[in-house]
Formats: sequence, structure tokens, C-alpha cells
Amino acid sequence: MRNHVDYLLKGKKHLFFLAFFTLVFSSLVIAQNRVTGKVTGPDGKPVFGATVAVKGTNIATTTTTDGSYAVTMPHNSNVLVFSYIGFEVSEVNVRGNNTIDVGMKLQTTSLNEVVVTGYTAQRKKDITGSVSVVNVAQMKQTPVGTGEEALQGRASGVTIITSGNPGGNSDIRIRGITAFGNNSPLIIVDGVRANLHDINTNDIESMQVLKDASAAIYGVAGSNGVIIITTKKGRTGRAKVSYDGYYGTTTHGNGYEMANTQEEANAIWLQQLNDGVATPTHPQFGTGPTPVIPDYITPAGAAAGAPNTDPATYDINSNQITKANKIGTNWYNEITRNAPMQSHNLSVSAGSDKSSYYFSMGYLNQQGILKYNFLKRYSVRANTQFSIKDHIRVGENFYAFYKENPLFGRNQSEQNSFTTAVRESAIIPVYDIMGNYGGTKSQGLGNSGNPYADVARTKDNKSRNWDIIGSVFGEVDFLRHFNFRTTFGGVIDNNYFYNFGYVAYENAEGNTGSNSFTEGAGYNSNWTWNNLLTYSNSIKEHNFRVLVGTEAVNNYGRYSNATRANYFSENPDYWILNTGTGAQSNAGGAYQSSLWSQFGKVEYSYAGKYLLNASLRRDGASVFAEDQRWGYFPGVSAAWVISQENFFKTVTFVNNLKLRYSWAKLGSTSNVDGTNPFNLYATRLGKSAYDIAGTNTGPVSGFYRSNIGNPETTWEGDIITNAGFDAVILNNKLDISLDWYKKKVSGLLFTKQGPATAYLFGGQDAQQPKVNIGDMQNTGIDFSATYHGTVGKDFKFDVGGQITSYKNKIVSIPGLPFYDEGAVRNTILQREQEGKPFGSFFGYKVIGLFQSADDVAKSPTQDDARPGVFKYADINGDGKIDVDDRTFIGDPNPDFEYGINISFTYKNFDFSTFFFGSHGNDIYNNLLYFTDFPDFFKGAIRREAAVNSWTPTNTDAKIPLLRTTGGFSTDAAGYGSSYFISKGSYLRNKQMQIGYTLPPSLLSKYGIERLRIYVQAANLFTITKYEGLDPELQSQPDSNGNIFTTFEYGIDQGSYPHTPSFLFGINLNF
Amino acid sequence: MKKIKRKFLILSSLAIIVLVVACSKKFLDKPPLGTLNPQIMATEKGVQGLLIGAYSLVDGEGTSGDGFASGASNWIFGGVTSDDAYKGSDPTDVAVAAPMEKWVSLDATNGAIPQKWAMGYAGAARCNDVLATMALASDIPADKVALIEAQVRFLRAFYHFELKKVFGNIPYADETLTPENTDNTVDAWPKIEADLTAAIGGLPDTWPGEPGRANVWAAKALLAKVYMFEHKYTDAYPILTDLINNGKTSGGAKYGLNDHFYSNFNPAQKNSKESVFAAQTSVQDNSSVDWGGDPNGNYGDILNFPYTGGPGACCGFYNPSQSLANSFKVDAATGLPLADPYSGPAVSAESGTGYSGTLDPRIDWTMGRPGIPYLDWGIHPGIAWIRNPTNDGNKSPLKNVYAESQKDAYTDVGSAYWGPTELVANNVNIIRFADVILWAAECEVEANDLAGATAHVNMIRSRMMDHPEAWVKTGTYDAASAAYTSGANADNYKIGLYPTFASQDAARTAVRTERQLELAMEGQRFFDLVRWGIAEPTVNAYIAREKAARPLKSDAHFTANKNEYMPIPQSEIDNLNSDGTEHLKQNQNY
Repeated sequence: MRNHVDYLLKGKKHLFFLAFFTLVFSSLVIAQNRVTGKVTGPDGKPVFGATVAVKGTNIATTTTTDGSYAVTMPHNSNVLVFSYIGFEVSEVNVRGNNTIDVGMKLQTTSLNEVVVTGYTAQRKKDITGSVSVVNVAQMKQTPVGTGEEALQGRASGVTIITSGNPGGNSDIRIRGITAFGNNSPLIIVDGVRANLHDINTNDIESMQVLKDASAAIYGVAGSNGVIIITTKKGRTGRAKVSYDGYYGTTTHGNGYEMANTQEEANAIWLQQLNDGVATPTHPQFGTGPTPVIPDYITPAGAAAGAPNTDPATYDINSNQITKANKIGTNWYNEITRNAPMQSHNLSVSAGSDKSSYYFSMGYLNQQGILKYNFLKRYSVRANTQFSIKDHIRVGENFYAFYKENPLFGRNQSEQNSFTTAVRESAIIPVYDIMGNYGGTKSQGLGNSGNPYADVARTKDNKSRNWDIIGSVFGEVDFLRHFNFRTTFGGVIDNNYFYNFGYVAYENAEGNTGSNSFTEGAGYNSNWTWNNLLTYSNSIKEHNFRVLVGTEAVNNYGRYSNATRANYFSENPDYWILNTGTGAQSNAGGAYQSSLWSQFGKVEYSYAGKYLLNASLRRDGASVFAEDQRWGYFPGVSAAWVISQENFFKTVTFVNNLKLRYSWAKLGSTSNVDGTNPFNLYATRLGKSAYDIAGTNTGPVSGFYRSNIGNPETTWEGDIITNAGFDAVILNNKLDISLDWYKKKVSGLLFTKQGPATAYLFGGQDAQQPKVNIGDMQNTGIDFSATYHGTVGKDFKFDVGGQITSYKNKIVSIPGLPFYDEGAVRNTILQREQEGKPFGSFFGYKVIGLFQSADDVAKSPTQDDARPGVFKYADINGDGKIDVDDRTFIGDPNPDFEYGINISFTYKNFDFSTFFFGSHGNDIYNNLLYFTDFPDFFKGAIRREAAVNSWTPTNTDAKIPLLRTTGGFSTDAAGYGSSYFISKGSYLRNKQMQIGYTLPPSLLSKYGIERLRIYVQAANLFTITKYEGLDPELQSQPDSNGNIFTTFEYGIDQGSYPHTPSFLFGINLNF
Repeated sequence: MKKIKRKFLILSSLAIIVLVVACSKKFLDKPPLGTLNPQIMATEKGVQGLLIGAYSLVDGEGTSGDGFASGASNWIFGGVTSDDAYKGSDPTDVAVAAPMEKWVSLDATNGAIPQKWAMGYAGAARCNDVLATMALASDIPADKVALIEAQVRFLRAFYHFELKKVFGNIPYADETLTPENTDNTVDAWPKIEADLTAAIGGLPDTWPGEPGRANVWAAKALLAKVYMFEHKYTDAYPILTDLINNGKTSGGAKYGLNDHFYSNFNPAQKNSKESVFAAQTSVQDNSSVDWGGDPNGNYGDILNFPYTGGPGACCGFYNPSQSLANSFKVDAATGLPLADPYSGPAVSAESGTGYSGTLDPRIDWTMGRPGIPYLDWGIHPGIAWIRNPTNDGNKSPLKNVYAESQKDAYTDVGSAYWGPTELVANNVNIIRFADVILWAAECEVEANDLAGATAHVNMIRSRMMDHPEAWVKTGTYDAASAAYTSGANADNYKIGLYPTFASQDAARTAVRTERQLELAMEGQRFFDLVRWGIAEPTVNAYIAREKAARPLKSDAHFTANKNEYMPIPQSEIDNLNSDGTEHLKQNQNY
């Protein structure tokens, strides 16, 4: 059967190419006509370097320094297209003339801007799908280290969530969450699959986001949207040299408002008094009616002169001597700093009609506000193109960078220093009397790590990447209407790291043990090879382009790392793997996958009024079994430029109006891997090895069934429909674009719940396959608008904004109608349920605090109820509070996110600012677990909790009574409660700058074309009701800092905050 | 025309390139890396490896869904549930185990219970996988097939026994179980017995060099234990007699009691003559916690170390209860347990005047308590090593701990924040010979053989009485022999033998007390209370004694005919009953 199917498919392939050859031969006609002329600008001066192309063909030339050109036109072509950056594109019908002079007009709309969409380039006005075109010039204004951060708020429909961590990863989602798991879009750089993270934003020429049927040409990879980046090329003309640089400082921010030593001690007393302890006692604060702040915390609670406080008796292990910080350590201030950042970018570009080059060097040094944390990146780009004769072009895009970006700990986790800063008690000083670290080994102060020690101990760790990202291409024009292009390229990422694990002798936990050293390296690679054949022609008012192509994508990677323990010296110079004398271990991994595709696309327009695009892609993916490997992904989009209709010509305030509709089927393999079709076994020491011989250290390695395969699994299918319009109104001053979409994901790749996943059938011991079940749906609106205005002669302004809204709904989950997300510190916070949005917070709803015994008695029965603790809502009204009263208490998905860009120029001054906001999302502030409930974990307390908790005399308090032992009425027995939920809306000023461009008259004698200086503030202010450090919260990254999924999304577990930066910068062109 | 030809040539060659790539089907064959396929497994080596994989879950760790609650020691399900110990740490740290102390808040969504359930059934699934794969292999000689099958059936019975005693109504996951025929109201005991009987028929007398494998004696002991749970004393007794007279370890040593009580808990003396069946553990074997978990050391008990100081510096769980400490009080004249050890001054009282009378010397091999040497870690400082003294008292677990002189040799190494120094190559006793002797005594009590029962109880007590050199002393601890080599007795110890029991009731009480003292902190207590039918009165009396001082217990209450068994995990019920049929019925009153 399988062979039969293959044969059929192959047969189809042959037919496909036969049809294509027929097409080729039917167009063989030859005849020529030579046209010359001159191109001038609105000022009458010649335009140098303008493109003069024969419409419907690949024949083109550029104007010389005096604006003149000469082009040979084929027999049945008679339209020339003149274009130059900043000018309106104009089309002229030659009508047999041999001389055509053209006066170009300044561009007032971007409709003629040519943008790259799915393997072809189109003018904006010819686009039929939902494509966000990023204003790259504005995007580059935000001083950030990664491409994702730069894109934030710049494209409607694109959600980017970042952190303040230099070089940290961000969540990228296009049109919301549409899968349980990976939602990352496809990133195409110069025609090949690459990534956005480490791109030098200065090199970006254009950036488009395909969100609907326009992504269908990418088939199985298009489901999460496609971001297409084109890097700069040399332009015809003399060499241009640009320098862009800035230098500035990121301020460390305000941090948390934590209780000081006295307040913390009082709170500890209050805990005990509330619990009926008549005479409170504490190892540090003594015994009695009030706490006494000791002179020393090690020895615990010691007064000056007490035994073992003599420095002579000091011993780091047995008699550490640590003085109390009687005022209180501000841990946030101890771990943070005002951090310098700088970026320098130098580029040279030039071109002639035979060749062009763009060369740039970039240096970025972004120090983090967390001490010892930084991103340094050195990058080089070289893009070149050569024309061999008139019809053959070859070229390459090459980008290489070297980066140092050590992990600061895991963002959004309780181990990172931003979290331990709310956990480490105020009374603990950074250092003990001998300059070693102080910590929770001093009794009664909880179990946090010393936040500063944790940071300082990372300072000699290394994390380095060397990457090459690039492509080579060759392109040939032939038979007048044909173009063949082949592109090969990809990414080679080499990463290397080492780190040292110190024994944190100062901590309550893990203060013994051995130090250790870990070193590792790995590489990730992918390559893409695509071949495209394009036929374009215009016959009268019919313009069409047909594209067929193939693409092969291959991914491969490996890593290995090793650890040794017991290093005699902790000096970094001593750290190599063989100098450790203790136990050693190692690990490694590898992956591979491939994709092979054929695709075709037709773009057709009639008289600039009726536009139709259709595409079809056939993908074969290695991650599925052979019978299920192939899938077809069609997409259709149509547009009607209604403003071109005669009946519309009377509506004068509308310059352009285009209605669009699209439908496509896309797919995704993001959430399935190559093990999925197979029944597999594995060996893993912890899972299948057993010390059958009783040797203590030498277990026999066995096997276990690691994967249960499903050969039936195939593509995840998304049906996306989109309707929208683009309008240019008010004399080309206002551009509006609005899209409504519905993205229906069906056959969501999902592990089926039910007997197969039951423990009873070993369903959790082996990994269950993903199967095509489960549906999710997003509907939403993307809106963007830009207004360009001029006031008087010198004042020009631009106001733009974009809004993204999506409404996510889980339509069906197979087996059971819901499942709970994994627990965060033993507490289940999120439930995925049919009919609810992804990531909904689930738990008990707090309706207030019990105010009195009488209140408790009158309320539904609740375990652990007493005055001062949470009163939960009796959701099912059965008179008792139990697991059946859990309910949905919040939604991490925003109603909408928006970006606002405002800029103006007045004479030589310019000003611009950019705001980004999110509205209507809820945040689960899990840090309150540590700061408001000293019974959970001892340690630092939030000041508000320390001084304003519920007591019989402070009954208006929101914070429950402090007590020594928690219970159901505060901890909800392993589930969340609405106490932790906050409104997460915010509006942030991402950047604001004022620039001054020096008059050219001053500069020309130095050969300087343009010099602009500016001052800038980034993240200047944030308007929010959220009380945590930063309302912008990303999903939980994996241990390497990568964000692949939407895991623990909307939960604050300690995130690296954004804080204001102040910069000074220069743009210089020669 | 020449030009056209050239173009055609270019075009054709391009098309060929495209087709060549199109035809290379191989391009899409990307087998997963670093895995093994079923064909490789269906060989003798493969099946033997799968068998090791089936053994590897005996320690209660190593499958998805495992955790502290699935550890072989049953410290949560057999210890914290009983009067042995408190959960320890702060009440909300591993809060899922707090309901095992409070009971009132225990429900089917509790996060600790699926851990044990997951482990048991993962073990059973691996056993079934060995059998299924072995059926496909053609290169295994018949005698080896029999040996493999016997081990598999032993392990499958073991995993189900662990489930049975915790959950009561369990489906038996053998190769015939399907989602459709699952029914947990069918009694699993006969199937457990059948697997063990088959194992006994196929297992060898010893496994030279492989003490971790189950031999015929281990299978007999487990069958006897099953009979004890079924109250089939007359079936158990002959097996127990056989074990006592003829039993030997897989290593070939005749069963006997170690001279030094603590040898049973000493990693340096693992797989001794007293070890009938134990979970084997190993460290420094590349499975460190640094690598993301699943280590082979005794991970189940990784939390059960003194807090801040001593061996692990973490995490302060599983603190022996004040009641347990008091139960070691003995009569100053006879050295026998007191009738009511819980009244009067408390042993190592947290405040006020503590007990100063005589104590069974086993107390200080069972727990760390203030003022007494804690192996070679120095004098236990009391609350300085306790995470939350209000709830956890002032005592620390000891039977899973190692000596300072054994650090590095028997502990893991690594730089995880906490963990490596609490990961120990300390076997977990599943059945030790003392256990067997005390079952025999129980059978004798039920058969009203008072002399026999007395003799067996005294056999246990004699070990301690005859070896005063193995009582805890103030001097130097020798980790090789699990005894102090110098110094005076650390406390006022005394132990004596029983005269022949006066009555069946007195004998029953004495045997039960002996089990409580001998096997304290070994995860057996709660299951004993349940099989004796005295869980409710014992646990509630214990709660009543302790609740005033322990906030976590303030509203604790054990409900009879409910709390004897854990609820079946709700997620499992949801999964199994998702076809609309009740395949899994929740345990009564949950």
C-alpha cells in the first residue's frame, strides 16, 4: 500500500513539472525595443540610482549620476516602472516612444513600498493577506539587545513579552496562544530559517509579519505566524558610511518595600501572639513580651561579648560569627546596580549596477542591573550581490557573532536573586565579621540563599556562543518572464559554557557538600535549501505571477557536558575538568529532523482593483511515520481595491481603500518530536539502573520503555480566516488597517487523557505519543493606524498606534474536559478547561477575611477557619468549603495589547516616543507566598504584611492574620486563591528621545552628510496597579533560559524587571 | 537558437536537481537519536536489562510522577500517618503530606497520593513489559526464561502489595488487565498470592554476587507478609518457621539478627544476614540530583535529615514524635516497656523537666534527640536542628542517616543547592529478619502459643540485651561496625526479657509494642495498626495527646472506616472512568 501511495505521489510530481515545462515553451517569443531617458526629482535635479524596470519582466536597470538610463524592452512589453526610495513609484506606457523622461514625486504614502512576503516581494498595495509591516526605523529606536525586544509593540497581532535580563529570551506569540506548548513563530532571515534573538537590529532593512493565509505558503511551519526579515543590501551609488552608537545607564530601580529588622521582629512576635503564645520566643530575638534585636545572629541571638563572639574563635564551619544588621539589609539594593550599556555600529555600503555590498560591524555591551550580569555581542555582517551579465545574479548574506551572556539564574523561579531578595531576612548582613557571607545558617531566619552571594558566585562563570547565520543565492532571469532562484543557508550555533558550584556554607540548607565544576558545549544547526521558479507577466490589465518551488530543511544538534566535584582550589584558574578529585558525571543529547516541501503560488491582479492570491504547499515531515508524513496546506486570499472603482472616485477623502479576505489551512509540528511514531526503549541511570550487586556506586544499567509510539499521528491543522481592510484617507494623511480573524486549531497535537495516560497502565512511565485531538480557537482584532501631519512649514508629526486583541478559547480537550497545569511549589494554579481561555487561574475565591468567631460560625463550614483568615466563596452553595468550591479566579490573557508611537520634527529637532501597554490580564503574584505568609517560609516579610496584617484591632486589613502555622484557610491546600491575583494591566513608556540634526552647512566641509545627536530614556515610567516589581511577565523558561512554551504563563515567580535607562547617542553618515 | 538551447539546458539541469532532491525519500528518514527499538530489546540481553529496569523502581523512585511520597521507606504513608513521626519542616513545606497528619483535609485530589500509586503501577507495567518482550525473544534458554519470569512475578506481587496496603481496593495490573475490564472491587490478594507462589516455584536459593535480586526466601517472606495482612496466620506460620530455620539471604548468609542493631541502617553493612529484601541504592553513579533528578541514592528519604546542621543541612522532615520517644520508657527493674509510657515526664521534653528514668537502648538508634550523640556528628543540639520546633518537636530521624566519617564514601556529591549530601547509598529495608521473627510471634499469639511468642519476642530483645557494647555511648563512633568504641552509655538504658506471657491479650500487647519499638521509623507502623484493626483508637489517642502542643494537629481527627486507606487518586478515577463506566470506585467515605 505504501509503495502504491508513493508511486501515485511521484506520478503527480512528474505531471506538475510537465505542466511547468509546457508553460515555459509556450512563452518563447523574442523581439526588442530600446528606450532611453532621464529621471528627475521634484526639484528638477537628476535622480541617481533609481530603478527602471520593464513591467511584468525581470528586466531592469538603474539611472546614472545624471539621471539617465537606457533599457531594452521586449516586443510585447510597453510599460516602464520607475522607483526610487522616498519617491512615488510611477508607471509609464512607452507607446512606441524611444525617449521617456520622468519627473518623480515625493512619496506621501507607503503603499508602493515593496515588502517581502512568502518567497516573493510585493508592493504593499498589492498585498491581499494580513501582513504587518514593521516600521523598521522606529523599531530601531528602542535600545535593546535582542530582536524580539525591538519588535515589541511594533506589529499588530504580535505579542512579545520580555524581561529586563540583558540577552534574555522573550515570549513571541502571533495572534495569541494556539497550542498547548510551543507557540513560537517561524523566523525567516534572507530567505532561510534563522532566528531573531541575536540579530543586529541595525542591519535590518525590512521586517514583515505574516499572520493569515499569507503564511500558508510556509505550510506546516506557518501555523504560529511567520516573521520575515530582510537585511540591508548595498544601494547603487557611492560608498556610504554610517555610524550609530549610544552610551547610557540603566538605573537599578526601586525594588521591593520589605520590612526592616525591627518590623520583621515585631511580625514574628505578632505571629506567636496571634497563635496564643503568651511569651513569644525566637532563637534570635529572645523570649519575652517584645523582641530584642541581638548584636549577633551567629551565635544565635548573642549580645556583644557573649561566648564565641571573639573573632579569635571564628571558624567558618563550626563558629561563624555574624553581626546582626539592626537596621535591615536592603537585599534588592545589594544585588543591583546602575548598569552601563553601549552599542556601536559601523556600516559601509555601496553598489553599482554590477555589484553591491553592505558591511557592518556591531558591538553591544549591555550590563544588567543585576550585578555581574551582562550581554556582550560582537557581530559582523557582509551582504554582497554580483550581477554576471544582465540576467544572472549571485550573492550572499553572512552574519557572524560572538556573544557572552552568562545565565543569571533562572528567570521566574524561586532560586534567582530577584526572588531570594524577598526571601532573605533583613537582619542578615551581606558579610560576617570576617568578610565571608552571612546567611540563613543563622538560626530561625528561614532557608533562603544569600541573594548577593548567589550573584557574586556566578561572576566567573562563562557562557559563550559563536554563530554563523547566512545564505548564498543564485538567480537567473530567462525567457523574459522567468526567474529561477536558488538559496541555501542556515544557522550554525556553537555554544560553550562552564560554571562553578560553590558550597554555600552560609545557608540553612546545603551548607555542606562539595564544590563542583561543570563544563559543556553543544551545537545546533539547521539548513534550508529552496529553489524557486517565478513566471511574471502582464497582459493588458492582467498582472500575474506564478511561483513554484521546493524546499528542504534539516535540523541537527548535539551537546555534551560534564561535572566533577571536589576542587581543592576555588580559584578560576584551577577550573578544568581533571583537577577535580570527586565524583564525576556527564550528559549528552542529540536531535535531528527534516522537512521536504513543494509549493506553488499564484498572484493575480486585474487593473489594480481585483487582487487574488492562492498558494498550496505540500510538506513532508520526518517527525511523522512514513504514511502520515505528507500534508497539503492551501491558502487563498482576495482583495478588492474599492477606491479604484469609478463609483468610488467621488469619495474624495478616501485615497485608498482595500477590502481583504483570506482563508488558509496551516499546520504545526512544534509540539511533536521524532520519537512520536515509535515504540522506544531507553536507558537512564536514575530511571532504569539498579545496584543489584550492592556495590554502593556501581549500578547495573537496565532499560525501560521510554516512548509509546503512535504511527497515526499527523499534522496539527489550523484553519485561519481573516477579513480586513486597509485605508488611506484624509489626503494620504491617515493610514488605517483593521483585521478580524478567527484561528481554529483542530487536531491539536496533544497527549490524550484517559486510560492510556493512567498510571495504572504505565501510561506515565513511558512518554505517551501526541495524537491529533483537541481544539482551540482564537478570535481577535488587529488594528493599526498612522497619521502624518504637518503644521506650518517646519513642524511635522506622526502619530501611530496598533492594537492586538485576541480571545482564546479551548474548544475541546479529548478524554477529560480539563487538565491541571503542573504545580508551582506544590500548588496547582492553572487549569485548562473546555470553554475557558488557555492558562486560566483556578482555585478558591477569597471573599474577605473572617472578622470574628461569630462570622466564622455564620459562614459555610471551612477547615481551619478563624478570625483573620480567608473566607472562601461557597461556589456550589452546599454550606461547606471543599475542593468542589474551586473556581476560575483569573485570566492571564489580556483583552488587548497596544503600542503607540508619537514623533515630530521641528526644524532640526526631532522627538519621538513609544508606549507599550497590556490591558485586562490578571497576574498571579506567587511571590506573596513568601512575603505575606511567614508561616510558609520564614524569612523576609513584605513591609505592608509586617505592619498592616489583620488583627482584632486592625480589621480593615487585606492581609490575613500572621500566624505560626498555615492551614487550609490561608494556603488552600495545594490550590491557588484569589488573594494572589492582581490586575496586570500596564502602560509603559518604552522609549522617548529628543534629537538634533546639525545643519548640513556646518558639516559638509568635513565630508559629513548627516550628524544627529540625541538623548533618550527607555522604560522611563510604567503606569500600573500591579504591586510587584514588573507587570510584564514571561513564561517560565527552561533551565537554559529558553522559552519554548507558555508554561506558567502570567505567574510572577520573580522576574528580572525593566528599569529606566538614560542614553546619549549619535547617528553619523558620511 | 543557440541561446535558447543553452537556456533550456540550464533549466533542465535545474529541474533535474529538483527532482533528485524530491526523490531522495531518505532525507525524511530521521530516526530518533539516543533511543533503542523493540527489536533490540527482544533478546536475552535486552530482556535482562528490562528486568533490571523493573527492579529499579523497588526504591520507589524513577518514574514520572514519583516524589518524596513514593519512596520505599513509606515514611509518609506508614510513618507520618501513624504515631511514629510528624511530617516535619514548616507545615506548608511539602504541604501535600500535612493531611497524613491531620486526616480531616485528606481528599482524593491530594498531590502525594498519586506518587505512590504511580510508582506501584509503573513497577507493574515494567514487569509486564519484561514478560511481553521475553515472549518475542527467541534466544533465551528455557531455564533463564523461568528465572526471569519468577523474578518478574515476585516484583509484580511486591508492587501490588505496596499498593494494596496503602489503597486497599486496587486493580491487579497483570498482562490481562485492560481499561475495559478494570474493576477495583475485585480482591487483589489472590493474584498477589498467585504471583508469589509462582515466584517461589522458580526462584533460586541464592544469587551469588547479586544480593539485590529476590531469592526464594525473599518471596516466601513476602508471601508470609501477605498472609499476615490477610490474617491468615495458619498459612503464614509454617512459612515463617521455615524462614527462621532455613532462610538465607540472596548472598547466601543464613538469616540472623545482626549483633549491632544499627548495622541494619548502616550503608557500610548493607545486605547483611538480617536483610531479607531491601531496596538497593547507589550514589556517585552519574545519576546526581545536579542532573535534574532521578538519582539512585535513597531519594525517598532525601528530606529526612536534621535541618541546618548535621549530615544533610536539609530539610528537617520526618521528626520522631514525642509519643514515640516516650514509648521507649522502660521499667527500671525489669527493663520492659511501661504499660502507659505517655503519662508523666516526657522523654527529652521541649520544656520543663524531662523524663530521667530508664529507656530502651534502641531509642537512640531510632532517633536523634537533644543531648545524645548523633552518630559521629556530635551531640544532637535539639531545636537548633529543627525546622519548625512548634510542630516538629526536638528530635530527628536517624535510621536513614549516615555517619560523618562515611560522607563522600556513601553520599552523593554535587553542587545542587541542597540534595547531594542527603542522597545516601543507604538501603531501605523492606523486610528484615526481625520483622519475620515478630510475625512468627504474632502467629503464635493468635494460636495461643504463649511460650513460642515469648521466645520470639525475647529473641528480638536479646540482641540488644546481649550487646551492651552496641548501646549509644558518649565516645567515638565506629561507622564500620555501627557501634561506639569508647565512652559511657549516653543515657540510662535498660532492657530485659519477658517472662512467659500471662495471657493471650498480654502477649498480643507485648508483641505489638515490640514491633512498634523495633521497627519504629521504618514506615511499618500505620500498616500494622490497620491490619490489627486499631488504627482509629491509636491514632486518635495520639492526636489527643499531642494536639495541644502542635498547631498542625489542632483540628486533626482520624475517621474510622475511611482513613485506614488512602483515597484513590482523583485523576486516575477521572482517566479510567472517562468512558462512562465506573472502573475505579473510590474508597469508602472519600
